[in-house]
Amino acid sequence: MVDVSRVQKELTECNRDREVSGVSITLHDGANISHLTGTIAGPADSPYEGGTFTIDIRLPGGYPFEPPKMQFVTKVWHPNISSQNGAICLDILKDQWSPALTLKTALLSLQALLSSPAPDDPQDAVVAQQYLRDYPTFAATARYWTEAFAKSASTGMEEKVQKLVEMGFPEDLVRSTLKSVDGDENLALEKLCSG
Amino acid sequence: MASDGHPPEPGKEEVATTASGPGARDLDDPQFMCCVCLDILYKPVVISCGHMSCFWCVHKAMHIFQESHCAVCRQPFKHFPSICQLMHHLLRKLDPADYKRREEEVLEEEKRIEMYSPQIIEFLNSKNNVGNDADNRNEDSKTRPPQEVSLNGSVVDDHSKKIKLEDVSCPLCKEMLYQPAVLNCGHVYCVSCLPSLTEEALKCDVCGSLHPGCFPNVCLDLDHFLEEYFPAEYESRGQKVQSKKGQCNREGSSSGTSSAKGSSRAQHDDDLLNIHIGVGCDSCGEYPIHGKRYKCKDCTELIGFDLCGACYESSLKLPGRFNQQHTPDHRMELDNSALLGRVHQDLLMMEGGVIAPGAMVQIVFENQGMGDNGEGPGEAAIQEPVDVPGAMLHIAVDGQEMEDNGQEDDQEA
Repeated sequence: MVDVSRVQKELTECNRDREVSGVSITLHDGANISHLTGTIAGPADSPYEGGTFTIDIRLPGGYPFEPPKMQFVTKVWHPNISSQNGAICLDILKDQWSPALTLKTALLSLQALLSSPAPDDPQDAVVAQQYLRDYPTFAATARYWTEAFAKSASTGMEEKVQKLVEMGFPEDLVRSTLKSVDGDENLALEKLCSG
Repeated sequence: MASDGHPPEPGKEEVATTASGPGARDLDDPQFMCCVCLDILYKPVVISCGHMSCFWCVHKAMHIFQESHCAVCRQPFKHFPSICQLMHHLLRKLDPADYKRREEEVLEEEKRIEMYSPQIIEFLNSKNNVGNDADNRNEDSKTRPPQEVSLNGSVVDDHSKKIKLEDVSCPLCKEMLYQPAVLNCGHVYCVSCLPSLTEEALKCDVCGSLHPGCFPNVCLDLDHFLEEYFPAEYESRGQKVQSKKGQCNREGSSSGTSSAKGSSRAQHDDDLLNIHIGVGCDSCGEYPIHGKRYKCKDCTELIGFDLCGACYESSLKLPGRFNQQHTPDHRMELDNSALLGRVHQDLLMMEGGVIAPGAMVQIVFENQGMGDNGEGPGEAAIQEPVDVPGAMLHIAVDGQEMEDNGQEDDQEA
């Protein structure tokens, strides 16, 4: 059974200084305390700067004696994060977990992971190869993915709408389509073209 | 701060507790927080690295078949220490209302899992006792009352404080604790006093039990508290200890201990198969028991009562780690039902003697003993603790490669 009072304390504590730390946690569906959504701000001086990354958090029954299960919802181009499904390779989320760690410290560790990838212990081999062999391309791709996926939700929506409208699609349809794909411009375009 | 996953430091805690803790805090009272449950420490246990957590928070975080690691500093430890009674009484005096709340919450949870932490009886001759616990049903007292201390000079300006100097005195030098270190039995000494107890092994002067494992580190949380709470006394004690001599000052013992640890570690790995999964010794706290295990046939509590070989043979009889009603006339028997070696053999038979290296060994564990309530941070998945006494072990072998299978290899080698 999840330690409910601890999780509640963690939520309060984490969200108190969200402006400073750049990480925050909310309940995923409002009722279930073992399913949460975390967000982290992309760290400065990294290809992820300016992005907001969403992380799906599931707490196993043994939490905090077992690590929380975390997965990126936002698509990220990073050696230690799967570009396919957002799975994360980070030791403290596996065998190096300690019950003295919290969701906030885990999210801060993810933020640090974005700043300093560990390509020698990759989750996504393709990205790791690119990181090691051709860093400029890696950085450019990561920046592009940040622009495309990590900024879509809140900012730039109007620009996307405008762009798609300029392509000749009706504004109402553009808006509803963008909404249905969580603001993903490329997916929206695909959908508009096929629909 | 507690939420950072670091050991709480007395100076910072008000910030961490103002929102979560009920009621406004007296800013003069530093709070001791548990870094695991993020609440006030309740029935604190001090590990030999000097870090402190609640009884259940330490126990649940312990690994059922490997050595455990401190949640804060990751230093390995093999023994589940007894509750530090000095800290327990100190916490209760600092904030009786909140401590009472914790007591009720924990008791409720204990009723649910039908396992109880040990009852703690009052300091019998403590004059400034504020508590009125009705917990005295355990006649077999774990602690003797602290020796009477003569503290003539310091009483005058202290009467407004909740904590008196005799609450925090060292049983050896009879003065206020300076750089306190806590033994496995839960008794607290100045770290500079401890070497005088060392003959072959560290033996507690109060209860007579041996301190297993490495030399304990200073409990910094308590040390900082004393420094803030009794600044004048702390300073004078510091000068006294410094001027005494450097030779018995074992303050920097942490590096020495870890090297000693390393040599014994290799030996420990050799007979890893000789451990009893999820069963702890109720006398010395070794968890899991390694070597011979004796089980009480007469204790009816769900948690059971077990002893390791050494404690079974020793004459010292201490109450259990949990609230068992074990008495010396109970019958004990040798029990191998939870032995990892047995599990391992069964595993070999099941798999025709071949297990692929790196195969994930999943042990589904149903147990009457210690530790069936929580899973350690390791890879073994313990599922569905069952409340029926009688240990049962089911094993499943999964061919999947694990990310980090070093520890699994240890057992299979």
